[in-house]
Amino acid sequence: MSTPSGGQEGAVLGERATEMASDGGSSSLQLPCVFSPKSRQYLAVCAQDGRLRIWNTDSKTINQEYVPSAHLSATCTCIAWGPCRTVKEGPQRKKRKSEAVQVEEKADLLAMGTAAGSVLLYSTAKGTLHCSLVTHSAGVNCVHWHPEDSVLYSGSDDTNIVEWDLQSGKMRSKWKADRAAVTSLCVSPDGKLLLSAGHVIKMWDLDTKELYRKFTGHSTAVTTLRFATTRPPDSNGLYFVSGAAHDRLISVWQVREDGKDKNSVVSFTLTDEPRHVDLVPSNSKEEAVRLAVVCQDGQLHLFEHFLNGPCKKPFSPSCSVQMADTRESPMPIPMLAAVLGRDSRSVLLAYGNHLQPVIEQVEVNTTERHVCLSRDVKTSLSLTMESTVSKVKTPVVNTKSKVLVPGLPGHQAPLKGSHLEKASEKRKKDTKEMSIAEQLGEIDLSATSSEKVKASLQTDNYAVLLVQGLESNDADILNKVLQTRKEMVIKKTVARLPLSAVLPLVKELTNRLQGHPFAGILMVRWLKAVLMHHTSYLASLPDLVTELGVLYHMIESRVKMFHKLTKLHGKLYLLMTHVATSDSSNMVSEVDHTAKLVYEDGEWD
Amino acid sequence: MVEHGDVRVVHKGGSKINFREPALSTDSRFLLCASGESVKVFSTATEECLHALQGHTDLITGVLLRPSNHLQAYSCSLDGTVRLWDFTDGILIRTYSIGYPIYGIYASAKHEGVIFIITPMHTDTNSELFQLVAVHLPQCGEQLVEAKELSAVLSNISSNPAASAFGREVRIFRSKPLQLEHVQKIVSFCVGALFVYNGPHNIFFCVSIVICSDQSISGTPSDQWTDPDWLLQAEGSGTNLLSGGVESVLVQWRYNQESQRDFLPRLGGAITHISVSPDGALFCTSHSDNKITIIQSCVKVSAVIQGLVKGDRIRTDLMIEPRSKALVLNGKPGHLQFYSLQRDKLLYNLDIVQQEYIHESGLEQFEVVMAAFDASGSWLATVEERKQKAPELELNLKLWAFDDQKQSFVLNTTISAPHEGRITALCFPHVSDGQTTMLVSTSRDGHFKAWQLAAPAHTEGPSWSCDFLGAYHSLVPECCCFSADSSLLAVGFQEVVTVWTPASWELLTTLSQPPGAVRDLCFGRLSCSKYLLGATTSRLLCCWNLLTCSLEWVTSMDVSLLLADPLSENMAAFCFEAGSTDLFVFKPGEPRPLFSHKALCSGRVTHAVFVPREVMLESCDEASQWLNCSHLYFLTQSMDLLTFITKAEEDKLTASSKQLVVSDDVAMTPFHLLLGKHRDQLENPQGSNVSLPQLLQMPAHVLPSASFLCSMFVQSLLISVNKPRSKEEEMESEKEEEDSDGEMESRISRPEHMPSGESGCAAPALTKEEVRELRRLKKLDHSWMKGLLD
Repeated sequence: MSTPSGGQEGAVLGERATEMASDGGSSSLQLPCVFSPKSRQYLAVCAQDGRLRIWNTDSKTINQEYVPSAHLSATCTCIAWGPCRTVKEGPQRKKRKSEAVQVEEKADLLAMGTAAGSVLLYSTAKGTLHCSLVTHSAGVNCVHWHPEDSVLYSGSDDTNIVEWDLQSGKMRSKWKADRAAVTSLCVSPDGKLLLSAGHVIKMWDLDTKELYRKFTGHSTAVTTLRFATTRPPDSNGLYFVSGAAHDRLISVWQVREDGKDKNSVVSFTLTDEPRHVDLVPSNSKEEAVRLAVVCQDGQLHLFEHFLNGPCKKPFSPSCSVQMADTRESPMPIPMLAAVLGRDSRSVLLAYGNHLQPVIEQVEVNTTERHVCLSRDVKTSLSLTMESTVSKVKTPVVNTKSKVLVPGLPGHQAPLKGSHLEKASEKRKKDTKEMSIAEQLGEIDLSATSSEKVKASLQTDNYAVLLVQGLESNDADILNKVLQTRKEMVIKKTVARLPLSAVLPLVKELTNRLQGHPFAGILMVRWLKAVLMHHTSYLASLPDLVTELGVLYHMIESRVKMFHKLTKLHGKLYLLMTHVATSDSSNMVSEVDHTAKLVYEDGEWD
Repeated sequence: MVEHGDVRVVHKGGSKINFREPALSTDSRFLLCASGESVKVFSTATEECLHALQGHTDLITGVLLRPSNHLQAYSCSLDGTVRLWDFTDGILIRTYSIGYPIYGIYASAKHEGVIFIITPMHTDTNSELFQLVAVHLPQCGEQLVEAKELSAVLSNISSNPAASAFGREVRIFRSKPLQLEHVQKIVSFCVGALFVYNGPHNIFFCVSIVICSDQSISGTPSDQWTDPDWLLQAEGSGTNLLSGGVESVLVQWRYNQESQRDFLPRLGGAITHISVSPDGALFCTSHSDNKITIIQSCVKVSAVIQGLVKGDRIRTDLMIEPRSKALVLNGKPGHLQFYSLQRDKLLYNLDIVQQEYIHESGLEQFEVVMAAFDASGSWLATVEERKQKAPELELNLKLWAFDDQKQSFVLNTTISAPHEGRITALCFPHVSDGQTTMLVSTSRDGHFKAWQLAAPAHTEGPSWSCDFLGAYHSLVPECCCFSADSSLLAVGFQEVVTVWTPASWELLTTLSQPPGAVRDLCFGRLSCSKYLLGATTSRLLCCWNLLTCSLEWVTSMDVSLLLADPLSENMAAFCFEAGSTDLFVFKPGEPRPLFSHKALCSGRVTHAVFVPREVMLESCDEASQWLNCSHLYFLTQSMDLLTFITKAEEDKLTASSKQLVVSDDVAMTPFHLLLGKHRDQLENPQGSNVSLPQLLQMPAHVLPSASFLCSMFVQSLLISVNKPRSKEEEMESEKEEEDSDGEMESRISRPEHMPSGESGCAAPALTKEEVRELRRLKKLDHSWMKGLLD
């Protein structure tokens, strides 16, 4: 249900969002929330309670929960998913005809940096800690996997970058990167360059561990670094993006051949500081870079841009997505993370709170600049919690759903003889002016109404009341009249009824028959009377079939069971009488059982 | 005709995991279960499949932990081999070739080097008699070993005994044949052992013979179980007993405390196996609905490993949910299951009937028999049916709307008794964008009904009602199909195909090709949308041109399923021919088939589906071009889910695969540091033993048996008085050094950025002389040692 919030709603939401951000901003705790690479099977979230939770994005349920041994003191500061593992192949693998290809892309390991300075590797397949790496003396700010080798980089508050060899689980090298804390890291897609951010952004050659470039521009701590292109650095085509704390911008930097790359070339404007950035890098000049940024205020901004040299003017997002709940005065729902799908429209979103995020694949209408989605977070939450173990989802069944039983209108096709209908339509068109018959009818009606004026003195004239009730559709009057049980009254009333009121009466009766079965008993008497007195009139109606089709279907379907019911009734009656008679006979026989008088033979011979 | 050169048929998930009793590892971390031709190793904590142990070439019939080494497991298969695996790393250690099909495997800790297998009594395959055979496994280091030393233990047993046990005594008895009325009652349990009872005819083995009659398990079992087909399993110490059966209630009985029982009800399908981990911390139950439930010893479900639920038969078609691209079919009774094909994992079951299912044989309950999604996935129509007797059929048609706000399906309309007869087909029109407002259902009562989404009434939202009721000469409609643009509806009334226009519900034309009733109808797509294809029971596939209303072509083939790819013009016809199914993929407008595959599988294929790909392939190869837009999945008669894969795709997948090796050590607890220091002190004076930690780190499968190592291990821990090493020791160290060689090299070639503050846990570096000495040792000829090993 995506509605473009082109008006006030968006503005109101925006205000609320900023309010909320100022509330939540005081804690300024960056809780990591990362989707697994490639197939996006998992979402790893570290919530306020220090536990790591892995959510399954397919079933939208919690997959596992891990409590690090020192989760309260050494809270998790950053999470990075390792490259996808492949299922190990056995030593002697013969490719048979029907053997499945066992190359699945499953995310397995994830690295967590903690405030205590350790790096934990957690295996989602086994659900246990894989190994822990300790060498930093202060909190780890960022971890980043090498795209190909089993090498991990971590940057810490102690201003060092450590390169870990995961094959042996040992540190491979460690160097001082900056005077200030290392806040962000990124390895280039070809695995040869490393970006680190401290006071300045530095680019390192990973083979020699030498400084390759320096970029200055951000005044606050850089929180995000991402490579935007996959081209080699000496082609003027390597770009990367950066975002910093308290900075409502994403800057794009170009790594130029001549080394004159001091300032950012392009910038994207945001509504708040960036919290989660996802990027689809471009492989060639003709391909645009797609960027999805979730801000501190809970909004999602989508950008699409062809990186081609500097541009002075900052770009605004091609599409902004907000989310609101379904209450009367909608409150914004903060987004936690977003990843872009294969096509430009689909985005996988995580929103809500960190303890129970809701995951959803959304098709965003990118032609709109602002999109507001309304979601009922509470119901989806309760659903996910129930189905964690049982794997059963219960669809919502509420009273709003309609039940069609045989006999109700809509269960059978409305009867419409097509030619008849056309004829009647024609007739209606023809008689735009009043025909003589209708004029006569008018006169008749007026006559009856004049009678009615006289008759209104008699209060118990049901026929008049009924006509009034049918004309005004007054439920009170109709109830009063139709609830009578006296056979004679019904007969007389129906007999006195003017012909024009017969059809409305039949329709009213049909409606009431569909209700409670007790009401049906009363209505049937009326119906019987109507049919007895006015069959000839009804038969003369040209559109009888359409008018009385519903009634016909109802009678038909209700009578269908009548035969079986009478059979059952008969059998039950037989059974009951049998039981009753056997009961009574038992009573009789019991009385007679004991002998009244017993003679015993004497024992003499 | 194009041959199927580089397109292969492959298994794609959905295999059975409840076929045989699963095995839990000693530390309760892993669960091994036989699944088709591979053994799957699951993590009990995360329900993830860690490895699939592949190597067997036929159905696997048993998995068992090796009693003498809890890191290894045996598996046996109908291919006549027993294989020994290292299941933590997923490595095949040894293959024992027996030569007869094996139907079960047992082992006992008391019988070292012996396993017990179940093989047929006679060599002919269809014999019903089986025997238990003891096999002496030869000890040698080769990969493939022939085990020919067989001795029969028991004869006349079933191929799959319901339970088995070894007693404390290491004798195996064949008990007296039991009287039949006895068999119903005697299912007994004694300390540490279990009596086995299997089926109406026989038995099996019973051990330290204390046969208790059923009275000892508190009362008569019949008040708990109505079906005699139930299972027992003793737990760990033998003081507890678990039982379960068709009612899917797990009961934990305590020895000598008859009133105390723990119940775990509503586990799902009937329990088919119960197994207990050696430490008693976990139980697991296999269920008939292809599920393994892992239960903690406090009788609480901790995890559910759910395969594709296949039940006894599949009532609904295979469908793809347009939103999540999940495969949808009926699963547990009364549920629709959503199965992710990419991940080979069940996503969830959607409860359609919403009535508690009562597990009792002979009880008829509502089941989902038909379902359909519209093109955008916003509507789901389901038909549920309860059949007591044919004339008293109970039917419900439910229409569910997907609510974006609640992210769930919401019931919109329930239509009870939509038809008087069974519904034969259910079909939404293919509206590409915009709202679906129509549904057509055909029934055996000779009518088809068009249901329309009516405009919202004053208070309620929109709901569905019947718009049109169609019939044709009181013939029974069997199938229906909308054309690609939904402007035409074709309904097959036995021999006659009627074509209607949904806009005004007029009968446009009738087509027929007698004799033989029309079984399947399908409109062409895209450029072929003027064609209508029909398969008849008289082995004909007809193609009508709707512009000329004439028959375009006819071929003679017994089509069991006709399917159109939603993204291309291609159509797939599964034909039943001489006991097996052939596949033809063709375009209706072209005379030559694009692809044909003879003898796909045995039996009829009645369920198949085209699954749109996420990324289109750009294959130009003629034979595999039809797979560019979609995958084709189909279910065989034996309920295997199969699909096609092209060579190019396979190559791409294998090329992208790479290993990520990360050492697994959760070290660095204070205790470890302490211990590490202590060890350093112990070992460094000796100077010889870098090998000990490496010995501990080495994978188990490269080591000799534990008994062999133990003495050396103890010796290495002792403070040695310098004395000449024994031969064995030498050999051992050589072995380790070989292993450590690679690591040493990496250490030497380390970059110059050697950290200054490296922690003390690293092993002390070797001196140059030591390295040289090791190299020299490595070069020596050690072939004489083979004799020792044997």
